[in-house]
Amino acid sequence: MGEALVLFALLGWWLLARRLPEFVLPAPMAVAARLTDLFVDTGFLGHTIASVWRVVASVILAVLIGGVLAAVAWRWPLLQGIVHERIKPFLNSFPSIGWAILAAIWFPPEDFAVVFVQVLILTPFCLINISEGLRAIDGEMVEMARSFTRATFRRIRLVGLPLLAPYLMSAVRISYGIGWKIALVSEVLGAPSGLGYVMVRAQTSADMPTFLAVCLAIVIFYIAGERIVIVPLERRLRVSFAGART
Amino acid sequence: MLATPVVLPGPIAVLRSLWELAISTRGVRHLVASILHVCVAVAVSFLIGGLLALAAHYMRVVRFAVHNRLGPFLNSFSGIGWMLLALMWFGVGGVSVIFAISAVLVPFALVNTAAGLAALDETMTEMGRSFTRNRWRQFLLVTLPSLYPFVFATLRIMFGVAWKVTLTAELFAGDEGLGYVINLSRQEYDTSAIFAVIIVIIAFVYSTDRFILAPLQTRFERQYA
Repeated sequence: MGEALVLFALLGWWLLARRLPEFVLPAPMAVAARLTDLFVDTGFLGHTIASVWRVVASVILAVLIGGVLAAVAWRWPLLQGIVHERIKPFLNSFPSIGWAILAAIWFPPEDFAVVFVQVLILTPFCLINISEGLRAIDGEMVEMARSFTRATFRRIRLVGLPLLAPYLMSAVRISYGIGWKIALVSEVLGAPSGLGYVMVRAQTSADMPTFLAVCLAIVIFYIAGERIVIVPLERRLRVSFAGART
Repeated sequence: MLATPVVLPGPIAVLRSLWELAISTRGVRHLVASILHVCVAVAVSFLIGGLLALAAHYMRVVRFAVHNRLGPFLNSFSGIGWMLLALMWFGVGGVSVIFAISAVLVPFALVNTAAGLAALDETMTEMGRSFTRNRWRQFLLVTLPSLYPFVFATLRIMFGVAWKVTLTAELFAGDEGLGYVINLSRQEYDTSAIFAVIIVIIAFVYSTDRFILAPLQTRFERQYA
């Protein structure tokens, strides 16, 4: 039934596109051609790769920063108020477009600005997820770890991280999904490269096939990333560290 | 100061902009417009997402289609994509804004409502079935009330997310609303006004969530969960 829906949708698209002008709804074939261009044609490929590596970098940085903040609040309860009642609500309710606009004003339009915006948008989600994970850690486990060794890094590496693995993966997964959704927001307002730039260029020249191709490319990256990287990783970690999650 | 007022306006400049925004009719009018966009979009997307979730829950034949094809597709279609599409199809205005926001919110509504339906207490449903064979009565008097906490939690999350999307939508495709104000300020390089609007948004969303929605939710949970 699911595939029937997809077929149905494609058919409907094709039929509609025949009756509507090119700039409102282009034919599926034109969009498909453009979509392959994005991955094959050297002109476009550069933009595609730029967007991909920015999203990946932002996810990694956001998990790191969110994780550090969550860990700091967990380890030193004095700072919990600062992190959870000031930093977290602030980052969480700060509008994404606000970051994009401020970055456009503060930084020259390059990779740094885009990654800056994306990291700031993604960090609250990571912070929330990882602090949930820290909160779920059994106090007994912590004591046990401390009884084994005084080296903090060994404790973190052999006990803490495995216990946190499901929550870390959840943070990565959510960030990856949101990262792709907002990837364009940060690029549209000024980056000179990337899929957002391609999209804006297509929109201003009423190039609907390219525009839709970019949107679909993002859908593909999202689904591909989830299926190929994240879900298998999650499954492997869950099997190894079963019992960490109730 | 180290930075020019355009890059980083001082707190006094921002306060002044905040004041201007508050007392002028322009500020109030745009705030009301934004609230309207948010509410209508939340309602529309909740309806659509909720109906999809209900359909998937009760009709097994469409379950895969909804949750594994439609859901991920809608979820990964970028918000800006919707906005620029709306711009091309409906032009600048409220319709574009609401369309774009709703499109972005539907996957949220779908996933959250589906989670609520999945968590329905089976024993409750059985109890309802033992009382009456009329499926409508079962639904209205047993299923629906046990969904209230989830519905409320969903609406609360959607409300928070909707604001971020609304700002972006109004910036690109609106002719009124706080996002539109940010766009104007951006074109005039009036950074303190941008700061002011952002502060208004943060304050509004945070206080609504903390002082109105959170207490309501605890009340709902106490009564229905």
